[in-house]
Amino acid sequence: MIGSIAPSVALRGIGSIVGVGETDYGEDYAAWRAGGPDYVGPSVEEFAERSFSRALEDCGLERDDVDGLISTLDYGAVGVETIAKALSVQPRFSDSAGSMAGIVANAVTALAGGRADTVAVLYASRSRGSGRQFGGDTYVGADRSSYYYYHPWGWSAQAAHWALMFRYYQETYGATEADLGSVAVELRQHALRNPNAIMQKPLSIDEYLASRYIVRPLHLFDLCIPNDGSVCLILRRTDEANDLRHIPVAVAGWADVEVTESKMHHMVKERLRTQLQAAGRGALEMAGVSLADVQHFEGYDASTIHLINQIEGYGFVEPGQGLAFCQDGQMDVGGRLPTNISGGLLSEAYMHGWNHLAEAARQLRHEAGDRQILDVTTTLFSLTTTESSHPLVLRRADA
Amino acid sequence: MQRCKDCGHVQWPPVPDACERCELAVLEWERLSGTGQIVSWCTFERSYYPDLPVPWDTILVELEEGPLFISNPDGFTNEEVRINMPVRVTFVDCEDETGRFRLPAFEPVGPTGPKNQKGAQDETASTA
Repeated sequence: MIGSIAPSVALRGIGSIVGVGETDYGEDYAAWRAGGPDYVGPSVEEFAERSFSRALEDCGLERDDVDGLISTLDYGAVGVETIAKALSVQPRFSDSAGSMAGIVANAVTALAGGRADTVAVLYASRSRGSGRQFGGDTYVGADRSSYYYYHPWGWSAQAAHWALMFRYYQETYGATEADLGSVAVELRQHALRNPNAIMQKPLSIDEYLASRYIVRPLHLFDLCIPNDGSVCLILRRTDEANDLRHIPVAVAGWADVEVTESKMHHMVKERLRTQLQAAGRGALEMAGVSLADVQHFEGYDASTIHLINQIEGYGFVEPGQGLAFCQDGQMDVGGRLPTNISGGLLSEAYMHGWNHLAEAARQLRHEAGDRQILDVTTTLFSLTTTESSHPLVLRRADA
Repeated sequence: MQRCKDCGHVQWPPVPDACERCELAVLEWERLSGTGQIVSWCTFERSYYPDLPVPWDTILVELEEGPLFISNPDGFTNEEVRINMPVRVTFVDCEDETGRFRLPAFEPVGPTGPKNQKGAQDETASTA
């Protein structure tokens, strides 16, 4: 195992999210669908400008206040310098990253060290616009995608990772496809309370089962929806975050754990439990809270089964109990663990985890309207890949 | 496959020099038994390769020596797979633009192969 398993408690709550901006996921997706084969849509820079200006408006800061910038752009990426120019900012601290892992920690660490006073973290993606395919003979930038190793056997798709996990889960716990479908149905219900979500129609178990297989046993609705858009978060040191428009949302803890051997074993048979247990403990310890204190979970739902992997792996329920937990309503507002309340990657938008953080901030500010979790103070956010776990603990600044 | 002489771990996919578990560079190529059990499987129904018509089956085999091996079933389909079904490697002659090669696939092993399993169940039902 490698990574940062027990990061410094000295950084607990030092930085806070003060501003959030998102693009119009539902509207932009509908425009793409209606636009026909020649539809171009906004550029990465245009998406970035939208979320950035909305984040500034959200916290009441000016463009000139932003002296730190971290860009994380997928598929159609441009460099951080290009984005800085496009946004008319001149950061004294800047960085770029391909994956979400470690970015918020990087922003907090920069703030703690005085390298910047106001950091904008900017995510944007044009996976639709750049024609990205999540399988086959594909490249990400100049590197072959990780699916490359198994081309000779035609095993090459992101969906195939989740498919192997679920088949093993079925054999181990006796779960049916309809059981798994309950997760897709649940998250769709959550999206219906979110006018910005792409999916605005309910999903029934019958529709789920009737939907085509992508990589059997996984159906279309087990997988997230690629779309184009942007999310911007603005962070400040918590002690300089109190006179802005919303209560600060403090970054209380984080951890990053990767397992670098026997990937297939840890992925299919353990379903990442090794990483999730270690990273979960580390992030909670840094934050000074227990698992029982977590009232809200925002987990990386690239697929339905992967969301359940995380809920089970962190220990919210025992392995094999996750689907019953969902069917029992425990993942809804009012349940034991409200999860992906704005609809997640499965039904809101595929902003690679950034839309989850936007929802976490809204919930912790107590500004989530009719999907508000009552009195929530502590959220666990989880980015988990096929080999690593990167949780963040967020808390209301007055918790 | 490469086995680490220090910790015993067998590497798959292959590694350039250091053991992926203990990181020592004491690897030795070892001939394996070729046997294992199927622990998971999935069928591609969405085409990711323009020239390859769907569906096609893939399996995940836990080799006796430890590694999990992605492959294809040879002589049977995913419809007939059972968890922990014993299999043995077989090499399929293939050719692509780089030349000829032999692709490891897996065939069922002996009397517990899928057809015999099904037959045994039918016999039990008819005498019940």
